[in-house]
Amino acid sequence: MARNRIKPQGGFELTAWYFMRISGLVLVFLALGHLFIMHIANNVENINYAFVAGRWANPRTGWIWRLWDMSMIALAMLHGFNGLRQILDEYVHGAKARVAVHTTLWMVMTTLLLMGSYAIWMFQVDKAYVDQYRALNPAAASASAAR
Amino acid sequence: MSTLLPEPHAYRPGKLAKLRDGLRYQGGIGQWSWMFHRITGIGILIFLIIHVIDTFFVVFNPALYDHTVAIYGGVFNGQYFWPLRWAFRLAELGLMATVLYHAINGVRVILFDFWSEGCKYQKESFTAVMIVFLALMLPAAVVVILPLASAPDHMVKVPENTPVQP
Repeated sequence: MARNRIKPQGGFELTAWYFMRISGLVLVFLALGHLFIMHIANNVENINYAFVAGRWANPRTGWIWRLWDMSMIALAMLHGFNGLRQILDEYVHGAKARVAVHTTLWMVMTTLLLMGSYAIWMFQVDKAYVDQYRALNPAAASASAAR
Repeated sequence: MSTLLPEPHAYRPGKLAKLRDGLRYQGGIGQWSWMFHRITGIGILIFLIIHVIDTFFVVFNPALYDHTVAIYGGVFNGQYFWPLRWAFRLAELGLMATVLYHAINGVRVILFDFWSEGCKYQKESFTAVMIVFLALMLPAAVVVILPLASAPDHMVKVPENTPVQP
């Protein structure tokens, strides 16, 4: 072990230590790939409901995008909230305060993870809405048809 | 496993002195990269919370989702505001820089954990992080900022919400 590096000795903290490193490495590809697709290959001005529908509800590749997004949100939520827990543990020392902090973090994390999972798995295309949107925005419709 | 840690840093009394001592903990590039890693981590988490909530709209209210992403493109209630578009484009670039730094520096941290000699190359590895960061960030900045030079392709009009058709 190198000098000055602290690794937990065992238990939950060691599991968390390994989880942070493994999830971090996976997220390098998932999150940077997501950023590339959304902000370089596309941009905030052509991402809309029809774009999301075209990805998640695609009969051939939809499951890949849903699996990608599901893995990304699960890993990112656990990685992010565990990171915040580690930071707060260094500043919050009281037993009661720690219970309050950990409980809040777990509750917020679980709620967000459930919201994200629900959106990813329960998504169904509202075709009437997409047609209405395309009729109102002919330029957007031709732009998405060209893709 | 041996933990050859230096003696604990002596903090002077008083909140301000404590903060100043804390910021100078060990000092050097290792400390600043660590601090940036934390700050960017918290920043990404705050963004992530907002992002999960706005993407949640997609499943129960398409019009609300389109209204929200139209704001990100500078269109609010069917009207285009250029400062809004500029602000979101710059924030977008900031987000990309934040995630990119956290990702590359995270890989550096993992290298230190699994390669015991790694810590000796603290400065060199941080220079490498910065080179990779700039090499990826500069082209990204051009792609994100360049469209601001011209008007947006189209104005976004959001229709009234319709119930989900299964």
